[in-house]
Amino acid sequence: MERRDFLRLGLNAGLGLSAGAGLALTGAKPLLAANAGALPESPFKPRDLYEKDRSFTDFARGLQGRRVTFRGFMAPPLKADAGFFVLTQRPMAVCPFCESEAEWPDDILAVYTKRPRIDVTAFNVKIEARGRLEIGSYRDPQTGFLSLVRLMDATYG
Amino acid sequence: MKRFALSALALAAASAAQAQELPQASSQWFIDGQSAIEERLALEPNTNKARNVILFVADGQGVATNYMIRLWSGQQDGGLGDDYVQPQEAFPNLALVKTYNINAQTPDSAPTAGAMNTGVKQRFNLINLGEEAIHGDCSTEAPSELTLFSEIMTEAGKSVGTVSTARLTPATPAAVYAQTANRNWGNEGPAEGTDSRDIATQLIDAMEAGTVDVALGGGARAFTPEGVATPNGGKGRRPDDVNLVERAAGLGVSVAGNLEELDAVEGGPVLGLFGDSHASYEADRPAGEPSLADMTRKAIEVLSENENGFYLEIEAGRVDHANHGGNAKRAMIDGKMFADAIALADEMTDDAETLIIVTADHEHSIAMNGYCGRGTPIDGLCYDVAKEGIMHSDDLVLGSDDKPFTVVGYLNGVGSMLTEQEDGTFAAPEGRAEVTQEEAQDVDYIQQAVIPKSSESHSGVDVALYAKGPWAHLFGGTIEQNVIFHVMNHAVNPQ
Repeated sequence: MERRDFLRLGLNAGLGLSAGAGLALTGAKPLLAANAGALPESPFKPRDLYEKDRSFTDFARGLQGRRVTFRGFMAPPLKADAGFFVLTQRPMAVCPFCESEAEWPDDILAVYTKRPRIDVTAFNVKIEARGRLEIGSYRDPQTGFLSLVRLMDATYG
Repeated sequence: MKRFALSALALAAASAAQAQELPQASSQWFIDGQSAIEERLALEPNTNKARNVILFVADGQGVATNYMIRLWSGQQDGGLGDDYVQPQEAFPNLALVKTYNINAQTPDSAPTAGAMNTGVKQRFNLINLGEEAIHGDCSTEAPSELTLFSEIMTEAGKSVGTVSTARLTPATPAAVYAQTANRNWGNEGPAEGTDSRDIATQLIDAMEAGTVDVALGGGARAFTPEGVATPNGGKGRRPDDVNLVERAAGLGVSVAGNLEELDAVEGGPVLGLFGDSHASYEADRPAGEPSLADMTRKAIEVLSENENGFYLEIEAGRVDHANHGGNAKRAMIDGKMFADAIALADEMTDDAETLIIVTADHEHSIAMNGYCGRGTPIDGLCYDVAKEGIMHSDDLVLGSDDKPFTVVGYLNGVGSMLTEQEDGTFAAPEGRAEVTQEEAQDVDYIQQAVIPKSSESHSGVDVALYAKGPWAHLFGGTIEQNVIFHVMNHAVNPQ
């Protein structure tokens, strides 16, 4: 079995936090996601973490400390052995006429993996990542990348 | 041949006077068609001298993208979409515009905007320089600088504004005030020791000179030094220590960083910066950030203080970005906001004295699939044509792979069905992805594309131009993009 297949099996084994459980944990209001009227369902999306003003949703705060699953796209890693990658809501299109330099979208999620070496997936192929959600500023000592929200001890595939 | 002759005779007999006798005369289509002719017959050319000129440019909103936005807007309005009329589509004058650059079949937004603002076609990646200028070679700037429509308007005593949802420094908004050998010199120019100025500096220079009175958009980080606060709450990235925001304020320019501050501005000149990079997509815009319509309102209010009139360019910059990302939904939503801004500008001005032009700088490699029945959601999957009635059937149209597809697709981009494999080749081992309607209509959905590319590309396809007001009737047929300048120039000073 390929490593990626193993991870996928684990991710699909009903381990994701259900929306109902999220509510029970936090008692949060139903209107939580910036782009969806309904409560987010697992696997969650990076956008479920953010309001339009870029603040965190109540839903995101309710997930803190939980092992949860997010679906998105792996941005090309800053370093192969950095031990983390960035999960984006949409593929990281690089537009020569839009940006003069690397530009991160607002709705991203840093994924710190259990193993330091990143098994790179093409930037436009959907993946799922599962880990413990952590909120708060953290500057990566290797790359200087500043993240505001992360999945820790994550598996992905 | 005899049959043709008879048919021709029958047609000739069906003159306008007898039209009501035709069997189709009671059809609403027929009645509406006759009304359209009556409206055209009643049109009279407006040969007034234009006091104001407003040039609306939706970046990347060519004929196909405009079609998509029309259907989106109409369906949001509760209709089928096809028959919806966007505000600009009710304008009486129309032309098709050829958008190629001097050296590019597929244009970019810098020289296209430059063509509109100077009257001559320009070279790829350059803004407002003559055809001898070379991309990235600042030594070719000074001998090649062209005179801008904004400068001509200033000489005529008019005020000038530039508004965009993109950054104010590259391409379309910059073409109002800047001349550069590289559209990416937004916050820093080439090597020191040259006379070349970065584009942000050129904007503040223009505000100091009085050739720009209103500048509203994104791109704040090009105006303050690295790490220094921007008006919108972000941080600057200028490599030098020059704080252009402070400089502007020192010149008496009102500076706004959010909607509340913009609303509080009572007169010009005004600099509004609403994002460190681009302003938000309309779909993502927080309540405290002005929309394109908000910026349009304030710009017209401020510029209208000048009794001699104004020239205002307004860009919907992010239709283009959404297309580049293969994310048609955001292009639709930004396109609707563009239309709202046009309607507002039309309402705030008088057709007798204001020439309003609505166009795009270029099209994208976007295309519509078929055959879809009426009422098929333009942001979703293609439903089949029904045999009876008007609405589409409940059956999805399937490809030869027995999978449904969305109405909107792209020829290239991040949504390519071919993805990079572990061995570096590109393939689709499992075939084309099967898309549900729920997935397709999600705001973050990426349309399927053919050729894999990190960013979807422009195309050289024509764009439409709609116009009303003084001398708008000079637009017609298929024109070169630089002709737009000449109509504007004639309208403000008819000979």
